[in-house]
Amino acid sequence: MFVAKNIQSDHKDLIHDVAYDFHGRRMATCSSDQTVKIWDLGEDGEWHLTANWKTHSGSVWRVTWAHPEFGQVIATCSFDRTAAVWEEMVGEKQHDGSLRTWLRRSSLVDSRTSVTDVKFAPKHLGLQLATCSQDGIVRIYEAPDVMNLNQWSLQNEISCKLSCSCVSWNTSRIHSPMIAVGSDDTNLSAGGKVQIYEYNDSTRKWNKVETIARIADPVYDLAFAPNLGGRNSHLLAIASKNLKIISIEPLRRDSTLSGQSGLTKFELKEVAEFNEHEQQVWRVSWNVTGTVLASSGDDSCVRLWKANYLGSWKCIAILTGDGSPQETDRPQFGQLQGNQSAGGDRSVGNAGVRNLPSGIMNLRRNTGWPSFNTKKDQSNVML
Amino acid sequence: MGHSSKWRQSNMAERERDLHILWLPGTASCYGLQATWGMGNQLYVFPGRNPILQEDGVQAHNPEATEISEVRWDTDMHDKLIRRLVNQSHNIFMMLQSQAADASSATLKQQLVKCSKQYRSVMKACSMDLLEASDNTADEMDIERFQDQLKVFEMQELIWSLCEILFIDVAPGGRILIPLLEWLRRHFPVGFQIFKDILQQEKPEEHREYWECIYRLILQGEVEKVRSLLARHPARQTDCFLSMEELLKKMPLCSSNYKGSSLSEFEMKWRHWREDCERRLEEGDFATNKYLETVARILCGDNTVFSHLRDLCQTWYHMLISKLLYQNPTVKANDLQYYTQDCLDDFRCDGMLGDLDNILIAVFEFDSHQVLKECSGFFTSFWFAAHLTDLLHHGGCLKSHRLVFGSDLREYLLLDYAASLMSHKSLWQVGVDYLDHCPLFGRSYLEQYIEHMSYESEKKAVKLLHICERRNMTSQVKSICKVMGMRLLHNDRLGAALTWFLKSKDVAFATLVAEKFLTQYSDKGKFDNLDLIDNLGSSMLLSNRLTFLGKYREFHKLYEEREYHAAGHLLFSLLTSRLAPREFWITLLKDALGLLQLRELVYGSKQTCEMMHCLEELTKDTKHLEAGKQTTDLSELQENISLLQVALTKNLAKAIVTEGTVHPS
Repeated sequence: MFVAKNIQSDHKDLIHDVAYDFHGRRMATCSSDQTVKIWDLGEDGEWHLTANWKTHSGSVWRVTWAHPEFGQVIATCSFDRTAAVWEEMVGEKQHDGSLRTWLRRSSLVDSRTSVTDVKFAPKHLGLQLATCSQDGIVRIYEAPDVMNLNQWSLQNEISCKLSCSCVSWNTSRIHSPMIAVGSDDTNLSAGGKVQIYEYNDSTRKWNKVETIARIADPVYDLAFAPNLGGRNSHLLAIASKNLKIISIEPLRRDSTLSGQSGLTKFELKEVAEFNEHEQQVWRVSWNVTGTVLASSGDDSCVRLWKANYLGSWKCIAILTGDGSPQETDRPQFGQLQGNQSAGGDRSVGNAGVRNLPSGIMNLRRNTGWPSFNTKKDQSNVML
Repeated sequence: MGHSSKWRQSNMAERERDLHILWLPGTASCYGLQATWGMGNQLYVFPGRNPILQEDGVQAHNPEATEISEVRWDTDMHDKLIRRLVNQSHNIFMMLQSQAADASSATLKQQLVKCSKQYRSVMKACSMDLLEASDNTADEMDIERFQDQLKVFEMQELIWSLCEILFIDVAPGGRILIPLLEWLRRHFPVGFQIFKDILQQEKPEEHREYWECIYRLILQGEVEKVRSLLARHPARQTDCFLSMEELLKKMPLCSSNYKGSSLSEFEMKWRHWREDCERRLEEGDFATNKYLETVARILCGDNTVFSHLRDLCQTWYHMLISKLLYQNPTVKANDLQYYTQDCLDDFRCDGMLGDLDNILIAVFEFDSHQVLKECSGFFTSFWFAAHLTDLLHHGGCLKSHRLVFGSDLREYLLLDYAASLMSHKSLWQVGVDYLDHCPLFGRSYLEQYIEHMSYESEKKAVKLLHICERRNMTSQVKSICKVMGMRLLHNDRLGAALTWFLKSKDVAFATLVAEKFLTQYSDKGKFDNLDLIDNLGSSMLLSNRLTFLGKYREFHKLYEEREYHAAGHLLFSLLTSRLAPREFWITLLKDALGLLQLRELVYGSKQTCEMMHCLEELTKDTKHLEAGKQTTDLSELQENISLLQVALTKNLAKAIVTEGTVHPS
């Protein structure tokens, strides 16, 4: 594991979100400096700034890409109580390096408080997006004509009763549309902080199907794992006082209880729970196949989690920066390497790795750091 | 044995505690740290915490607070030199999969042995490349990197070849020691190197390592080489040398001449020879020469002498095989594990076992799962564990061990190996083949990867499309076509966009493009992309609008070719079948104007009436005319309408007269 490159974003304030388009060739960053920047991966393998503009009149919390099937479209949400949809103007391609133009296609101004999250629906649901705001309302918008992004209609308003911090769409094609909403309400007695809603086609309404009662602490982020074809249950990662991974498995629809508009019943299982971030976990992100989870939290570390081949989730790597509590371990890490080359004792080493410059490490697998005497064993293994 | 597994446990517990931290230079974690996933094994880390938790008034003008780091891993296989390994092992892997599918168990064993050897030769070739590269560069960092990789390959070869001997190419009749000796000689060539060195000397016996070399060779059962060294000693004619020569000559070798005889015959010969060795030693044949005495004690399998020569054995597994050669040459493969502990004890200095040791112990214990588990944890790339697992899987050496995911160890490792390939710009194509051979999750992984694959060029899009089509991934095919079409549509390349939408039979977007074509025609009075429209063929039936577009273009062609009657009838049917969109009627009628003004009669009275009817409908429903039109356009339109009215009326008159002439009532 190593740092492949650094990108100096030149934002004038903290970055709040970095989002990659579906193909990993474009990157959008947003910041408290009220701007969004778009970066494109060039033939040279470097990221080039191709657009930079002021998007809102407040901090921009989140930026997200629509599927490229809908063109080059992003959505942003901000402290200024709005969310916005932006489309890149194409036509004459600029090769001279000048910035491209992004047009505001729509401002979604229904919220009366800060809009904390915005997410596009999975593409099989068409061009839809969900926003959530501090006043506890999740709004679903839709652009009925994908060729005309000026028109977004508010499809549904879901009142969650609690201040909302994050929203996530379930990507399953089989299951009816589903979203999870997290609340950062600090009142522990206000009930579960994660609510799950399901869309009912016949009533055209979103119904609450679950409140995860065991999560009473404020939730700062949550994310459904990409749903792989064969998997019946859905995995939801939750960033709260600790990191939780919950599996949500739909049971048979109970038609006797609730008639035709029968709600799906679910079985919820806690697959993993980790306290390693010490206090708050504030962000979770899944890889493409939904097999590795990245989480970050108050300990200023990014941790990667993966289920080993026996299905138990384990930390496979920690990433940290200058001045974190973990930093004290860093010199020790170097020392171990030093010992190894100096003496013949069996200290921790790795398959032929000597002094690692900072920014490089070997990824821990299911069994962890290899330890054997490199010097002794290797000198005896000759061609 | 119980002892060794306890060691391993404590060793693993030790490792659980190990820290494994990547320190990111230039990131200030006082601002917090967050991460977003890229494609594959790629993570983007940036400072900041959740906005809700952000303390008020924190302003970060510091560039440290706004730097993003791209972190990658599992890129071992992306190295140019290693890529050869990826491609060649891919060929072997694919061959093995197809053979395993249809070979009978007898032939399969041969194939497995062949594949195993091929894998090893690819590793070897890769080592050679690395060696060469390291010799040809002056860059310290590069040399270090090459040397590190080289060591990894050497270890992998060591493990793989031992697995091959014990799991895959099992020697018949349980004569396991012969291949083990070969394995030993290949991986511990020091003795042989000194031997060659000594032969160069004028006075071999004066070589500093003359006797050490003899010990090393005898520990590896290299009797002939030892004899040739002894024969060069000036004292070769003395009694003790002659006695040793006789013993060595009579030693029932485990090699060629032993192959013919049966196991019991060999055992009998061996007992006799051993008794002879012991007798001569006891009778003091070698008392005059302490070196030859040591050799004789090795031949007698004396435990203490092996401990004594520990350093020449270098490792416990060398000692294991050396000891067995002289103590129990007919040992069964399954019994090897009972002899490891003594040798381990001899080498235990601080009580810690290394990973390589653990892996080899597990091999000797025939614990294939443990071997693979340790290997996948030990080596930084999944290449080794994935391919070895696959080989053992086909060899029936892995019990079908259902995992929680529902997939097995083989698939788990293959998926991880494929993941490391999928994030590379060209190796992903190899990754696809590996995913194909993961029965449970391979397909859904592939679907996910393909949806996130970038295709800047048309060529790559077509390649991806073929991959999806061959695997019947309809939804991915649709998506690729839509993305490509959409991109072209936004760049106003209508023709190319339409081709992609036709590929995926996308009705909505084909209609949309057809409409754009028509608008373009209304605006400019001509079509671009004539080729495409002319050659639509049956694909025009995909959408009504497209059919209309195709037919309308056909009308133009007929008109140009002066096939006025055919052209006229086509136009008429377009109009009356309501295939033409309302907004387009006026254009069609304007086209008809030309036909109406011809000297010969194209439209009969009935048809003319119907066309008048259409015009009437159009003027009544003015909204189709007014939409988005300027007033100047409107007056022009009005003019057109009155022109048409006149022309149609005239034509009607002409038609009635003509029809009347032909068929007088």
